[in-house]
Amino acid sequence: MLGQYATTLTFIALGAIFAYSFYAVLIAGQLSLGQAGFASLAAFSGAYLAPSGDDVGDVAALLIAVAIGMSVGAIGAVVLGLPTMHLRGVFLAIATLGFAEAVRVVLLNQEWTGGAQGLGVPRVLTVGMAWTALALVAYWFWRMGRSRYGRALEAIREDELAARSMGIDVGRHRLAAFVTAGAVAGLYGVLYAYYVRLIAPNDFDFVAAVEGLVTAVVGGSTMFLGPLLGSGFQTIVPEIQRAVGVEAGWIRPFLAGLLLLVVILFLPGGLASLLPRRTRMPSGAADDDDTTGLAGRRHPAAGEPVITLAGLGKEYGGVHAVRGVDLEIRAGEVVGLIGPNGAGKTTLVNMISGLVPPSSGSATVLGTAIGSTPVHRIAAAGVSRTFQHSKLFNRLSALENVLVGAHLVSRPTFLRRLLWLPSARRDERAALRQAARCLERVGLTDLAASRAEALSYGDQRRLEIARALASDPSLLILDEPAAGMNHVEAGRLSELIRSLALDGLTILFIEHNVGMVLQTCTRVVVLNFGEVIASGTPDQVAADPAVIEAYLGSADDDADGGPLAGSPRAGATAAGAEAAPPDAVANLRPGAAGTLDTPDSTPRDAT
Amino acid sequence: MRTKLHTVAAAGAAALLLASCGSGESGGGGDSAASGGLTGEGSGESCTIEGEVPLGAVLSLTGAAASYGESQQRGLELAAGELAEQDGVTYDLTIEDDQTDPRQAITLFEQFVSDGASLIIGPTLSNAAVQADPIAQEAGVPVLGISNTAAGVTEIGDYIFRDSLTEQAVIPQTIAQATEQFGLEDVVVMYSNDDAFTESGYEAFAAALEEEGVTVSETITFSKSDTDFRALLTQAQESDPDALVVSALIEAAVPLVTQARELGIDVPIIGGNGFNNPTLMADAGEAAEGVVVGAAWNSSSDNPENQAFLEAYEAEYGAQPDQFAAQAYTGLKLVDQAVRANCSAERDSIQEALGQIEDVPTVLGEFSIDENRDADHPAVVQVVENGAFAVLE
Amino acid sequence: MQQLLNGIFIGSIYALFAIGFTLVFGILDRLNLAHPAVFAASAFVGIELVERGGLSLWAALPIVFVFGAVLGLVIERVAFRPLKNRPDAHFAGLISSIALAGMLIAVLQWRYGPDTRRFPPGSFPDTRYEVFGAQVTLVQVVILVVSLALMVGLTYMVTRTRLGRGMRAVAENPTAARVLGVNVDRVTAVTFAISSALGAVAGVLFAINVNTAQLGMGAAIELKGLAVIIVGGMGSLPGALIGGLLLGLAEVFAVQYIGSSWVNVIAFGLLFVILLLRPQGLLGARKVREV
Repeated sequence: MLGQYATTLTFIALGAIFAYSFYAVLIAGQLSLGQAGFASLAAFSGAYLAPSGDDVGDVAALLIAVAIGMSVGAIGAVVLGLPTMHLRGVFLAIATLGFAEAVRVVLLNQEWTGGAQGLGVPRVLTVGMAWTALALVAYWFWRMGRSRYGRALEAIREDELAARSMGIDVGRHRLAAFVTAGAVAGLYGVLYAYYVRLIAPNDFDFVAAVEGLVTAVVGGSTMFLGPLLGSGFQTIVPEIQRAVGVEAGWIRPFLAGLLLLVVILFLPGGLASLLPRRTRMPSGAADDDDTTGLAGRRHPAAGEPVITLAGLGKEYGGVHAVRGVDLEIRAGEVVGLIGPNGAGKTTLVNMISGLVPPSSGSATVLGTAIGSTPVHRIAAAGVSRTFQHSKLFNRLSALENVLVGAHLVSRPTFLRRLLWLPSARRDERAALRQAARCLERVGLTDLAASRAEALSYGDQRRLEIARALASDPSLLILDEPAAGMNHVEAGRLSELIRSLALDGLTILFIEHNVGMVLQTCTRVVVLNFGEVIASGTPDQVAADPAVIEAYLGSADDDADGGPLAGSPRAGATAAGAEAAPPDAVANLRPGAAGTLDTPDSTPRDAT
Repeated sequence: MRTKLHTVAAAGAAALLLASCGSGESGGGGDSAASGGLTGEGSGESCTIEGEVPLGAVLSLTGAAASYGESQQRGLELAAGELAEQDGVTYDLTIEDDQTDPRQAITLFEQFVSDGASLIIGPTLSNAAVQADPIAQEAGVPVLGISNTAAGVTEIGDYIFRDSLTEQAVIPQTIAQATEQFGLEDVVVMYSNDDAFTESGYEAFAAALEEEGVTVSETITFSKSDTDFRALLTQAQESDPDALVVSALIEAAVPLVTQARELGIDVPIIGGNGFNNPTLMADAGEAAEGVVVGAAWNSSSDNPENQAFLEAYEAEYGAQPDQFAAQAYTGLKLVDQAVRANCSAERDSIQEALGQIEDVPTVLGEFSIDENRDADHPAVVQVVENGAFAVLE
Repeated sequence: MQQLLNGIFIGSIYALFAIGFTLVFGILDRLNLAHPAVFAASAFVGIELVERGGLSLWAALPIVFVFGAVLGLVIERVAFRPLKNRPDAHFAGLISSIALAGMLIAVLQWRYGPDTRRFPPGSFPDTRYEVFGAQVTLVQVVILVVSLALMVGLTYMVTRTRLGRGMRAVAENPTAARVLGVNVDRVTAVTFAISSALGAVAGVLFAINVNTAQLGMGAAIELKGLAVIIVGGMGSLPGALIGGLLLGLAEVFAVQYIGSSWVNVIAFGLLFVILLLRPQGLLGARKVREV
């Protein structure tokens, strides 16, 4: 029974392994076609360098070849990855494709590969071995899924910038994913060689690369069984066509294409979306105060400086979004940053969190110099933030979002999960408890299992705060946290912020709801045209004539500078400011939620 | 999750089962249950076998090699139609498509082997033959290659035969005659280096040129998918050769020849088996005049088998056959010969009979299988004259 | 001299093909991998029009242009529009266009068989010129003129017309464009139509130029087209032209100075250098990432 289908089953396993090499990077949102090149290099070097089966035994020869092949694939990935990892989307795909084609042409021109006529390889691989290899690969990705490393990759896929802000070293993670892809592709190349008896460089051409990608995507690139399902599908389609007597010829590729199209159009998550998913729930012990398994953090003592800005400025093509800002914020303060649209608030905050390098001046945040320090390092120093437009990991659940937030304080678990070490389980539990606590704090416990994109706007804002809290930050930056919230919600948010401050957290937040700012903050900083025009206690600022002037005079000429200008929201808010009566400074835009159009939440960095 | 997974797996298994039922005539090894039906009485034309003789053919009907596969399919079907009109032996020929994908070729060979095919024809490409033929060899199923020209294919084992002359059997003769005819002293060699067929053709050309003492002033490679050769030809032109020696498939041959003439290269162009295709004259027109083609099949041969074949093919398909069709047609006729010789369609019997084929009149001329199970028949050197192949004399 | 001209002519074909590619990419940020299939299909349809329909090539070209445009609309409607709001639209669009390309090629094989075809002899005057001792055919001159004309025309359209402004708005920010009253779906569809129509014309001219049309002709030029759009700058029309010419010349001179075996690496060598030194391409604008 098995014997008759051994070939088909072997090709399913081989196809799945190759698809896993695409899955390895797709899971991190990278589109690479270089795997064909890695497989090719691995197949040829493995088959060429491994000792003959007559000397060491067939299986030993295969294992040696696999070791060589996987190393070659991984090294190839490092070599290709270092210069190309900064590329995104289609650029990366084309660059890696170029690599694969170059490998093909080079190998064609080598003597030892046999050129187009190929290199003969003994058949050693059996269906059992192929499936064993597949099982190992699938196991690897299965254990990766729920590990800290796996979550980080998914976070990068969903929103790279937000992932950076959560302290994830995106470059390293992407390279790691790429190297995994290289090694898995190498494994495929060698196994393929030891099954089909003859390999030629053309076996690993563009068509092969595309087929691997198609297999992975059809199967589903967000679920570890996807590649296997995809390979089963792709391998069995021709079999079924033969079985039901579809005449050989053009009609077969036509139907295969049609089927592929249908799957892609009607099964957004690939075939794997047909499988029900077990969503992880917080492990009830949210109120258990056990923090073992979480890395401890040292927070600055109250009164120590947290942010020190000296003459900080930012210029965009001649427009000064921020200029000459001197500011010191000390631990325990709750600072509200207000100002008209285009005043440079978000730019300032982006500089503080390391997203935007300043053009002039200097800044130190939690002992880290701003400028050339990458975002994730600044996050590691204890800065955590939310964004003006929610930047959640949309296809992850609320709980998973917060778990990613806990990246910096949880320990790596992937390798220990591979070995089923109990300590990994303990650490994961601890991270889960931390996440559950954060969700509870913002009141989202009941929605823990919902996908982030399915949450209401207000819930998304709160989820972002929960995610930011999960890293146990020393400094929390909130960019318009109350936008889109009604009075009641904003009030609750204000309470939350104050209670966080009581825990010793330093908070800097941008807000248009001036009433809320005045209620919540210990200090208010007012920015206009990129400059600080007032700073002091809420009462002082509310009475400052310069502030009143800024708010009323700004509506006409705020079209310049600042990342906000030109966004559809700018018009709406500016209009709001203009309409406000002079005595409304204390609560400039009452019921902000009512007048605000829901900001565009389409992902911008989908590439 | 777990139950769902089982469903998927079960569906897969069901599909596999279906696959075997669909094409399976007689399961098993082919000698036990079915053996009664595959051996008959009499010999040669009087041979009568009761059961249908299952034959499999693995051709590339779609994908990169589809145009050769289609020609082969036509040749096989034409021969099958003629065989069906003869009494005594009925063939059940199943032609399958390997999509120009070695994985499919391997799968199909496995399938034909386990479905009890008496013999497998194909596959279209030599690389696929090296990959798939061992499966038949191990199972003791004879294979007849009808287009494999690479060295080493028949060395896979004693069940592997072919009726296609290797490039080594065609090219030396071509070069020898061309050298004599045109007084070649130095030539430029061009070949596509990403195709097994053309690359081995190149190797044969290079060896033959050395043998004849002709200088190769430049060797230029291209890709089988290239169609613009102007840069390469301009390069070739610079060394002012006595001839261009080209190992390419017909897809490249037509534009290459046209563009060479366009650029004013008037020296003879010498090609191998890949050029032996009526498309050359049809598509290159004027430019094809004077092209020398060394080939396994002399399309203008007036032997009765060839004339009958040309006529029948033309009548059936309204087009002229190429070498792929001729070799495929011959292949099936040879299989019939072998079956009738011992009046048995048992695998071993066919294998034995194929090995003894000698001086059989075929479309390709007097045909024998040599001791290496390779084809042995006269090759021909042709030249295009007035829009048709004529023998170079 | 001959080599220089060879390079320019092959380069202008690359450019013509790549312009269609880059247009869609510039607007949608998606690669349309069905483009090569349109390239092949239109060559076959053009041959049929001339061969069976007895049309002159000049009459056939506009018909092929319209045919390409219709194919473009179909591609957009079937393979791209249903995906537009999906988070994985990037990968999905690649796959769906590959699937559609496979179907298109299968239909071609059904209709025309797998053999190579060509325009009947004499369907284009094979006038030749001698320029500084180099051979040039009328077809090549036409190709060059057509590529340049299309490029200039397109640039004019994109920068000056209402439709062009719509296209740029959509390219910049689809959501904002919608808010500003641009019919994003229509602009996208029209872009696809134009892109495919260009691919169609490129296919016909290519088939005449090399005197052959094959099912795989699109696949053969696809990789080079990809290299060209990166080298020239994604979404940049003049970039595609310059990138195409650059690649054509580089390949021709590689034959002379490096060796013909390496010609097919040139495209990717060039691409790599560009990606490392100037990721936005020669004429591409660096997109500022939004925070």
